Amino acid sequence: MTTRGELKARIDALITAFVSDQHVEAATRDELIEDLAAWQAERIPEYGRLQRRGAWPPALPTDVFRFRRIAAHPKEDDLRVFLSSGTTSSERSLHAYGDLSVYDAAARAAARHMLFPDVERMRLVVLAPQEDKAPDSSLEYMLARFAEWFGTECTWVWCDGALDLELLAAVLREAEASKEAVAVLGTSFAFVHAEDGLGDQRFELAPGSRIMQTGGYKGRSREVDPEILLEAISARFGVAGPWIINEFGATELSSQMYETTLREGIDGATGPRRLWVPPWVRATPVDPDTLQPVQGDAVGILRIDDTANLDSVCCIQTADLARRLDDGIVVLGRAPGAPPRGCSLAADQALGAQ
Amino acid sequence: MSDDPSVVRTRAASVLEASAVLTSSTLEVRAQWLADSAATLMREAHDRRDALSQATGLSVPMIEWATRTTLDTIRVDSMLALARTAGMGAGRNPRPIAMLSVILAGNVFTASVRGIVIPLLFGVPLLVKASSHETVFPALLRDALRSANTRLGAAMTVVTFPGGDIECEAALVESAETVSVYGGDETVSAIGARAGNKPLIAHGHGVSVAYCGAQALDEAHIEGTIESLSLDTCAYDQRGCLSPQIIYVEQSPDRPTAAFAERLAEQGLARMGSTLPRGPLPLSVGAAQAQWRGIAEVEGTLLHGDSYAISIREPDPIRWSPAYRNVTVAPVHGMDEALQAMQAIGPHLKCVGTDAGSLSEVASRLADSAALSAYACVIGEMQTPPLDAPADGRPIWHGLLRN
Repeated sequence: MTTRGELKARIDALITAFVSDQHVEAATRDELIEDLAAWQAERIPEYGRLQRRGAWPPALPTDVFRFRRIAAHPKEDDLRVFLSSGTTSSERSLHAYGDLSVYDAAARAAARHMLFPDVERMRLVVLAPQEDKAPDSSLEYMLARFAEWFGTECTWVWCDGALDLELLAAVLREAEASKEAVAVLGTSFAFVHAEDGLGDQRFELAPGSRIMQTGGYKGRSREVDPEILLEAISARFGVAGPWIINEFGATELSSQMYETTLREGIDGATGPRRLWVPPWVRATPVDPDTLQPVQGDAVGILRIDDTANLDSVCCIQTADLARRLDDGIVVLGRAPGAPPRGCSLAADQALGAQ
Repeated sequence: MSDDPSVVRTRAASVLEASAVLTSSTLEVRAQWLADSAATLMREAHDRRDALSQATGLSVPMIEWATRTTLDTIRVDSMLALARTAGMGAGRNPRPIAMLSVILAGNVFTASVRGIVIPLLFGVPLLVKASSHETVFPALLRDALRSANTRLGAAMTVVTFPGGDIECEAALVESAETVSVYGGDETVSAIGARAGNKPLIAHGHGVSVAYCGAQALDEAHIEGTIESLSLDTCAYDQRGCLSPQIIYVEQSPDRPTAAFAERLAEQGLARMGSTLPRGPLPLSVGAAQAQWRGIAEVEGTLLHGDSYAISIREPDPIRWSPAYRNVTVAPVHGMDEALQAMQAIGPHLKCVGTDAGSLSEVASRLADSAALSAYACVIGEMQTPPLDAPADGRPIWHGLLRN
């Protein structure tokens, strides 16, 4: 009988092997996904009810996290509970953690590889609330860990429930003057609000500066076409397009995927903008009727098997549309009609946007 | 192709110009004209079935079924009977309104038939905005009306522009005495704001359900029950407001709901897959379907085939399906429990399909309900309402005649 300890050790080994530049076999990951799914199906009744169709274990729809607590550990062992954005409890996914060590290892390894591959630490500017102001947000948790792991110093340009435009401008002017590279991290909403609020102010951040944006618009704010937003951010902050990347994460997941352009630029490689999938994760567009992988680069709905989801469910069926591109994934956004959700809505609500 | 505001105004003027011919014609002449038009439209729709399939996303057999069952209701006798019920004919001639602007939805393409034919029958000229998703059928209907009678046919025309075009919407409503709108609640609300003080006939978001009493499940009736429910569920791929989303089934120890659902799946919905196949599944619906089916499996039992799924689960809470032949079967102890569960749907409930044995009681209970305005009909006919079926709790001619 497989134990939690054995499974955790295997997940840790996968992530550690990757961090140590060892090749991680897809077969090793797939075997782990099978064993994790079997272990979780025995402990989480909701997941145990799903029937296997095809070669892979069944995937639990993200919406189930809105209605049920999906955890292999008892509630009293919860260390942290993350909630997705939303205005009512039935709109908010809940992901309970009794142990954040796997989450931390996965988040750290992915960000190191894709966002900070060339620097040990650098100055961070975060367009989001501090962790203690949004303790149920997985994004704020992750950004707080980034400040610990990758920051020389970190400025949170979010005060009293609003983006602090004066502070943002001041800290960027200071970075400009010192020619110190900075990483500006935040939600897509926050960048739109910065774009709307900064007027004519433009910045020329030092080479090596980078920007990470995350989250969609959730149908709650002025929507900006991703390419137009990227151009606007580039012009506003003086950061070249390849150094501006999207992070894809979700409350129901413990791992993140990042766009490839920053890392490939540093490596001297070229390729289309796409999401890099960590080797401990399997991301697959599937046919909505059969839930089996689509062929080639056809558009499907995105299934993510995230081995870092140790104490909940590893195999997750999202409502995002996606297609394969080279060795990565392009997420085309949430399907119209699917309930909007995600990390960046909390920030928008704080700004009072409708 | 999209019309600009000047085109919308020009067409509105041409419709008003033709109104004198329409209003001076007799009821009998108009009924004959409309019946002739329906016959022409039937032929044209058959010839254009591939284009209609493409435009609507419904399979060709479904297009054929839908046009036939809808246009079959456009008969002289049924129209005259409807007019009599509304107080017309036999020397009584309530005055029709001067002009109606109609905004059509795209989910059920034949819904335009009742929305257009009945005003014309009552002598009301029409300016019709077709759904930007589906322009083929309204254009065929317009052409059929003109082909059957050029002068009367001029009293109806079609415009097309994207929803939310403020100037076009203003042009659409400015000449109308009354505005009729089919669509989601957001559309209804937006058009209502545009219409200002003009009367609005709103056909907003709606859903329907079915109820089967124990008698419908006995061996003498079960086959017919399954056939009827399958047709109601699969017609228009369950996209209409008359499509049942939930089937409440009276359970008994000797007739478990799960066994009924299995028969509905195997002998009903699976067979419909070959007789009236489902259209292609849009990815956006597919994403919602995957979520709904997963929740159904977590919270109850899921039966599924190539193009359908049945969720067997308790009646509460309601998990609305994404349509496209994803239906809930909910066991209840009887009609009381079913009607109690329907209360949560409130005014959005449009129709309750039920077995013949339960029909009169369901109809009576709905009529007495303060919270519900749905009408009752027998299962198998949910998607083929008669010409005089009420709409949103009101007579179908509501708003077309002056007092």
